[in-house]
Amino acid sequence: MKKTDEKMAEQAKEAFDRSVDGLDAATLSRLNRGRQAALAEAAHSHQRWLQWMPATGVAAAVLLLVVTLQGPGDLDVISAPGTDLEILLGEESIEMLEELEFYSWLDSQELEGDGDLG
Amino acid sequence: MTAGMAVFAVSCTAKETGARALHKDTQLERFLAEVERRALRIAEIAVRDRDEALDLVQDAMIKLVRSYSGRNSEEWAPLFYRILQNGVRDWHRRQAVRNRVMVWFQKAKTDDDDYDVVASAPDPIGRSPDEVLQNSEAMQAMEIAVHDLPRRQQEAFMLRTFEGLDVAGTAVAMGCSEGSVKTHYSRAIHALRDKLGEHWQ
Repeated sequence: MKKTDEKMAEQAKEAFDRSVDGLDAATLSRLNRGRQAALAEAAHSHQRWLQWMPATGVAAAVLLLVVTLQGPGDLDVISAPGTDLEILLGEESIEMLEELEFYSWLDSQELEGDGDLG
Repeated sequence: MTAGMAVFAVSCTAKETGARALHKDTQLERFLAEVERRALRIAEIAVRDRDEALDLVQDAMIKLVRSYSGRNSEEWAPLFYRILQNGVRDWHRRQAVRNRVMVWFQKAKTDDDDYDVVASAPDPIGRSPDEVLQNSEAMQAMEIAVHDLPRRQQEAFMLRTFEGLDVAGTAVAMGCSEGSVKTHYSRAIHALRDKLGEHWQ
């Protein structure tokens, strides 16, 4: 780059810096507010992250504790819901659902009978 | 015991993370405070409207904080100016569309018509009226000349000269190669010398 070009760039920079230094108070205030708004958002996102840290830690610790105490021998407990599922899907359950009105009527009859006895 | 150790380890990590976040926030605030005024003037020269420039700078600050606060602090300046330049480009695109619509409705009026560089010039501090006038005139001439440069030349000139980014940083900010930065900058300097010859010797 030529010396004249360098000099021109220097002059331009000096004029620019003077204009930056001379920014009015209202503009500086608005810049400050904008900066604080940006930083507040950052702080908020950090807080959101930190809020979950203890909960995540406790959950991980509890899980670790359960796995450690139970051991692999007790894992057949997990098959229990499978048994319930089999009962729910069994033929008897469907029959009962189909005749739900009958069972309801029978129940009310028994209650009335009990009332007569009493 | 294992669970207790796990809770302790997690709480320590949370504290360290919190301390690091606070340190980063302090660094970020310092960086933004250093860069915001020059960024405002650069955006203002590009769009020739202070209010719009303020909005663009604030958007750039928010986007930097949201997306890049975890990066090394040395990377912030090029990234911040890249966001700002993208914002300025989007603003020009929106203005172009708006101006076309205004022409259609016979209300063609550019923002440049409303922009009075002297009236918008910064308040002087401790300078005589003659100095203020000279500076204001010189700055006005320079602002107009820089504003009239082709967009990429304008970006290269302002980032290199006003913000003081090096060639590599300017390339990141402009999203182009270092060779392109040198070419745009060289062309900008020549164009400005031709325009400002009488004001800047």
